[in-house]
Amino acid sequence: MMNFPSPSYSLHERIWHWLQAGAILLLILTGLAIHYPDRLGLLGSMVNAIRCHSWIGLALIVNAFLGIFYHVTAEKYHHFLPRMDDFTDAAIRQARFYIYGIFKGEKHPLDADPRRRLNPLQKITYLALLNILLPFQIVTGLLMWGADRWPLLVDRIGGLWVLGPSHTMGAYLFLAFLIGHIYLATIGPTPWTLLRAMIAGQEKPDRDAEA
Amino acid sequence: VIQQSIFSGSERRGRWVRVRHAILGFELLAVAALGPTSWPSATAQTLSPARIPKLAHPAIMLKDESGQSVLKTGKPISTRQTCGGNCHDYDFIINSFHFQQGKNEIDRDLLASHEIASFNLSPGMFGKFSIIPNRQLTHPGITDPSDADMSQPEWLTKCGGCHTGGGISEYDLRGRRLLTTEARANGPMDLSYTIRDRDKGQVVPWDWEKSGIAEADCFLCHVPKASRGARKKEMAAGNFRWANDATLTDTAIVARQENGAFTYNRADFNADGTVKPEVLDLSDPTLENCSLCHGFTAKNTTTIQAIQHADIMRGTEKSGWIYNGAKISDTVSPNIVGKEKMNYPWDVHAAQGIICIDCHFSLNNPGRMLHEDPKKNLRYKPIGEDIAVYLKQPDHNFARGDIPPETVNLTRHNTMRGCADCHDAEKIHAFLPYKTRHFQALACQTCHIPAVHFWAYRSDDWGFLMDTGTSRITYRGIDGGIVDPESDVTGYLPAYIPTPDKNGKLQIRPTNLITGVYWFDKTKGRPVFTWQVQLAFFAGRPAEGEWTYRPEIVKAFGDKEGITDIPQAVYDTPEKIALVKGLLQKYAGVAEPELRIEVVPWAMSHSIVGKQQAIRECTACHAKRSILHRPVDLDSFLPQGVPVVFRGKKISVVNYEGKEPTFDNRLLLSSFYIIGYSRVPWVEWLGWLSVIGVILLSVVHGALRLMGGR
Repeated sequence: MMNFPSPSYSLHERIWHWLQAGAILLLILTGLAIHYPDRLGLLGSMVNAIRCHSWIGLALIVNAFLGIFYHVTAEKYHHFLPRMDDFTDAAIRQARFYIYGIFKGEKHPLDADPRRRLNPLQKITYLALLNILLPFQIVTGLLMWGADRWPLLVDRIGGLWVLGPSHTMGAYLFLAFLIGHIYLATIGPTPWTLLRAMIAGQEKPDRDAEA
Repeated sequence: VIQQSIFSGSERRGRWVRVRHAILGFELLAVAALGPTSWPSATAQTLSPARIPKLAHPAIMLKDESGQSVLKTGKPISTRQTCGGNCHDYDFIINSFHFQQGKNEIDRDLLASHEIASFNLSPGMFGKFSIIPNRQLTHPGITDPSDADMSQPEWLTKCGGCHTGGGISEYDLRGRRLLTTEARANGPMDLSYTIRDRDKGQVVPWDWEKSGIAEADCFLCHVPKASRGARKKEMAAGNFRWANDATLTDTAIVARQENGAFTYNRADFNADGTVKPEVLDLSDPTLENCSLCHGFTAKNTTTIQAIQHADIMRGTEKSGWIYNGAKISDTVSPNIVGKEKMNYPWDVHAAQGIICIDCHFSLNNPGRMLHEDPKKNLRYKPIGEDIAVYLKQPDHNFARGDIPPETVNLTRHNTMRGCADCHDAEKIHAFLPYKTRHFQALACQTCHIPAVHFWAYRSDDWGFLMDTGTSRITYRGIDGGIVDPESDVTGYLPAYIPTPDKNGKLQIRPTNLITGVYWFDKTKGRPVFTWQVQLAFFAGRPAEGEWTYRPEIVKAFGDKEGITDIPQAVYDTPEKIALVKGLLQKYAGVAEPELRIEVVPWAMSHSIVGKQQAIRECTACHAKRSILHRPVDLDSFLPQGVPVVFRGKKISVVNYEGKEPTFDNRLLLSSFYIIGYSRVPWVEWLGWLSVIGVILLSVVHGALRLMGGR
């Protein structure tokens, strides 16, 4: 068995994660229904897709702020902060592991430490995701939603011709992340180990893996 | 009076006031005690609209230009004397667009400020170039006969059937009343006093003494039985003097004599010389009056007859609208294809009894006028025009919208009652998300005119003349001839273009596209005149309406039998264009002719459907095949290699990718981001590449793991 770190997730973290995951998945689906209304007739009509997209987006924003509140007050934000003293070497080691080591059954470069559950590549990805892409999507989404309410503001920053494609690009990147994220969730000791940890909170020894 | 005769002084008046108060108090008590059942019935006291007598115009005496009764003198009716005089301010009335038609807007600066090409003389019908007749008013001050096209008298013979006299047929271009001592030609080319003799090719004097002048034709709009046909006949014959009398032909008060004069039927007059009111029935303009010129309008009719007779009604011809309260499914003639499923009115407003002047009203009519409030803090301004002022000086610049490319009556654009002045769009579109955005981007007509169920002009090709000496016209929305009652009227789907709204913001609206092909004289900076194109194409005119092509034309465009018609008579090679260019230079003296193609949109605001038939489906617009970008056919035989530009924009709007050239409005609508339709290609490519890349990487990575047993 490969030596993988053993992640553990609090109830708050798991609820937050699954709420975000569900919201993002639904936003992508309803977003596709809005982007391709004649080909993806989800929810019966484009109007329903827009309404759902708006409400789910609002839920995601609220959950994002709750997440910030939790991670700050519970001092869990350090999970996402790269250690600058060893970042480059650690990132290279992690990349080598994904590209080569994983196929050779090498030991996972990250030590099994509940306080450092994310590897450097994950940290940099989540930092970009949570601090750049998510806020970008929230801002462009809010402005598109508010195009009816704040037309002057929307026009000032280029109107829908700027906001629409920007939001769409962000959505594609989110979709790409989601696919990669789901795949990487399968590279634990067994394909289900990490997923189970995010459901149950603690990685449990897998019978097959132990065997 | 009785009170004052019995009592006098304040004491007595005070006593009477107290007595009246006591009586009133007693009555109120009695009414309160007996309750509502004893109150007079409201329905019994209210007159139904049918029972309310129409306000009748006083009986009038028809007077001649000297103010004498025409019954006595037998002379033509002078509306200046009859309607003007002591009642209406004739000079005020005729100084309005319906009588000037742009004559009082001949102003280079005005044209320039509205980006109107300088070869137009005015923005109105009297002065602007129009592709449909390919004619234009001669510019004043010319010295060369080859610069003369249509003079003022010729304009009146061609257009005076509808355009109602007054300014344009009463005064010369310098504002002098014709047939007065000061009215004289300013040289041999003065366009107010000449006409082009098309047989001799010379500019010759016009005999105003013989034609007379046509004063404002008040009857055409205010007599429900007005006859435009009879008026048109007299104007076309140059018998201007009697044109206003001719308008009354259908009332039977006049009868035409063989010499062109009219006599009066004494039976229609009262003993005092006034006309019996029921004969003229003078009133506000009815639907039928407006329909005489502007387009097919009727309260409720199942026969669209006038169009079948190919009479001119520009509004309907240009965009196919029908303002009629009857259901389309009830139409007897013409044959409307698929009418069985059209169980709704031609126009929902007509079905509700709304008439033209409800929206296109006189601007100072106190009953209808809109009150501008610069501070925008009043919903209603109770201070209005006095009715007496209005009756004396009714403004005949009628409220209108502003839909480019139409330029007429520039100074009164956006004065009419718009949709939002009656409808609360926010309330009645509860189903619609992003209302403000939709209402800003779309004119109401965009959803409420989903289709046109009549025919309209499609193209007018003055680039190649038919053997009748005129242009080749094609129509959309009809299989067969427009005057053939057996033709199938299939209707058409509109094209969408952006036009500025009241505030100058672009709105998408439905239009009919008319493609004009014409020759342009680059040296003179104006379209080549029709008579010049005729000189290039034809060797002669043996009979009226029959022209003989030049041998060069027959050789290049004719078939084996010498017949010059579609499909061979088209500009399918540059050589054919060069040939006609050479003929224009050789025979018509056009130094630098250039063939031009222009697509002109004609917006529509009638043939409105209600909410049941309006477009409600989001994917009509928000889809890959958005109707807003639907391909609309232009003209099957567009000259090859000639740019097809949009009127006033100078951008190409043709797409040759299909079997036939179609209208391509992508550039025109490029400022509108239509969710579900609009795409930025690199965003789509990069986005999907990133998604597909991650999927492929995951699949390859996973496969390698599986192969490695990991």
